[in-house]
Amino acid sequence: MKKFIGLVGTNSDQSTNRTLLEFMEKHFADKAQIELVEIKDIPLFNKPENKQVPKEVQIIADKIDAADGVVISTPEYDHSVPASLMNALAWLSYGIVPLLDKPVMITGASYGTLGSSRAQVHLRQILDAPELKARIMPSSEFLLGHSLQAFDEEGNLVDQEKLEKLEKLFEDFMIFVEITGQLKSAYQADKKEVENFSWENI
Amino acid sequence: MKLVGIVGSNAEVSYNRLLMEFVAKHFGDLFELEVLEIKDVPLFNQSDDQTNSKEVQYLNKKIMDADGVIISTPEHNHTIPAGLKSVIEWLSFKIHPLDAKPVMVIGASYYDQGTSRAQLHLRQILDSPGVNAHVFPGNEFLLGKVKEAFDTDNNIKDQRTVDYLESCLRKFMRFVNVVGILDEPQPAKAPEPEDLYATGKIDTTIENVDMNADDWVEQAAEAVNAVEGKTYVKLDRGILTVDQLNYFLASMPMELTYADSNNQFLYYNQTAPAEEMLASRNPSQVGNPLAKCHPEKAYKNVGWVLQQLRSGATDAVRVHVPTHGPDKYVVHNYQAMHDENGNYAGVNEYILDFKPIIDWYLKQTGQELVGGTDGVSGASAKEDKAVDGVSGASEKETETVAVDSVSGASENA
Ligand SMILES: Cc1cc2nc3c(=O)[nH]c(=O)nc-3n(C[C@H](O)[C@H](O)[C@H](O)COP(=O)(O)O)c2cc1C
Ligand SMILES: Cc1cc2nc3c(=O)[nH]c(=O)nc-3n(C[C@H](O)[C@H](O)[C@H](O)COP(=O)(O)O)c2cc1C
Repeated sequence: MKKFIGLVGTNSDQSTNRTLLEFMEKHFADKAQIELVEIKDIPLFNKPENKQVPKEVQIIADKIDAADGVVISTPEYDHSVPASLMNALAWLSYGIVPLLDKPVMITGASYGTLGSSRAQVHLRQILDAPELKARIMPSSEFLLGHSLQAFDEEGNLVDQEKLEKLEKLFEDFMIFVEITGQLKSAYQADKKEVENFSWENI
Repeated sequence: MKLVGIVGSNAEVSYNRLLMEFVAKHFGDLFELEVLEIKDVPLFNQSDDQTNSKEVQYLNKKIMDADGVIISTPEHNHTIPAGLKSVIEWLSFKIHPLDAKPVMVIGASYYDQGTSRAQLHLRQILDSPGVNAHVFPGNEFLLGKVKEAFDTDNNIKDQRTVDYLESCLRKFMRFVNVVGILDEPQPAKAPEPEDLYATGKIDTTIENVDMNADDWVEQAAEAVNAVEGKTYVKLDRGILTVDQLNYFLASMPMELTYADSNNQFLYYNQTAPAEEMLASRNPSQVGNPLAKCHPEKAYKNVGWVLQQLRSGATDAVRVHVPTHGPDKYVVHNYQAMHDENGNYAGVNEYILDFKPIIDWYLKQTGQELVGGTDGVSGASAKEDKAVDGVSGASEKETETVAVDSVSGASENA
């Protein structure tokens, strides 16, 4: 069975994005194993000279390394990705490359109607940056608007249309993971390039 | 002009800090720029509100006090650094110091087109409703290849770059001023002075008749073939003869005066000789410009009342005139008139003694004024103040009377 990491894109104690990932973990349990990973305890990135990443980050990096793919669920703060998620991604690209060529599915939930659409666009651009270089599932979007009303008491997604969409997207993601798994030829070269890539050297 | 410059990096070494310090130093004659650091601001966490921490409040206060903000952003993974985003989140969570604040975005990067993507994101972030800054459009200033950009004194080496930066900054200063105007409460437009001499002309002005003539009514009637007597006129809504119209207006329990939007006195409902009226009018005054109906010292107040009505600031100005003794409560009501399209058509001044109405009401309802008759005068004493408000006058009696849009004339003459 495929193993995925569900990256909770916020450090908040209460999060509908966490609820969404928890729901996916439960709902897709017969299709894949999803392990939720929190970014709460990661210290603020400040570009330390010694390039040493904190151990909280290293643990997450190792989990991502070992996984077949990552589902990132992002809230939207000020029309963009929350600082805490940007922060995690900055560390996860600081001399380490866990997300390189890693299949990523993006989901997002927001209180308003738009379901974090603008944050998701930013997140795609971020994951495309040369030190991250993740393989983001193309032409797909899961936007969960009015997220405070989206779940019932047991944390199940109420809206059947939304649920169907999520199931289809997850099915696609499983296939996407298969396909990208075959795109291995360039990986070693890419990895070398990215590892050697440094903004300091341009 | 007081600006603050936020260094968008929390790193020990930062070219964006160098850039901001250069701006502060080099353009010190253009504006005062205080450089602010974000190093000690904690990572934003919705469930651990630190809005009141010293670090957040420091930035809050500095930004609130500034006329404008410049942010210099590094680029991390094609977006702004988490540290800078975190600061903006604090400043858009429980407090909103950037709301309506003019903000300019600049950036320095190692790479040649560095920070272009971060700057775009930053603009979008600043534009979001929780932040709601006024982001300075265009004028993108990117300092690429930043490692070679500064000399040993931390000045930007390339003069053309410095010149471009200066032109952007100068435009930003103008932007700050423009935005300042945007957010000011709409300045009350100084109203046009009223033409009390009625030198203008409106559609209905009867030309080639001397407004000051004692027999203006007769001359003007001839000039326009005015109907009278048993001739019918069609009204909204009804038909009356001119005679009937006169009976009707004469029966109004108040003195009516019509001055048109050209400030010409056209009509009053003549029911009594001038000396018996609450505000005297003479038959020979009709047709006069309002200036001729008032002593000069009253012009200011008359003009003010007319401006209020013409501008639509109010549709009615009421002035209590306390010169009629305790048995009367005489109020001069200036009521704006409008045509079918809502255009100002002049003033209907109706002068009315409220006392009989109040008395009748009290009698009918079996009520009494608290404090007996004093209740009325007590009220009038209060109203006197309002009169002062309108007339700006302190010499109560004469001045208050003078506010009357027409009647002053008799005293003057
Ligand atoms: C600082 C701040 C900024 C926010 N900005 C947005 C926004 O731009 N768009 C939006 O839909 N919700 C915004 N929100 C509200 C919710 O936090 C957001 O909808 C979020 O996606 C909900 O996800 P969560 O339940 O996982 O926290 C903001 C909240 C905070 C604290
Ligand atoms: C994690 C990380 C990601 C970076 N990503 C970018 C990038 O996407 N684009 C870029 O121009 N520089 C990138 N850089 C390099 C520099 O930090 C950047 O050019 C910065 O703007 C220099 O400004 P500073 O000296 O003020 O930090 C990155 C650096 C780090 C540590």
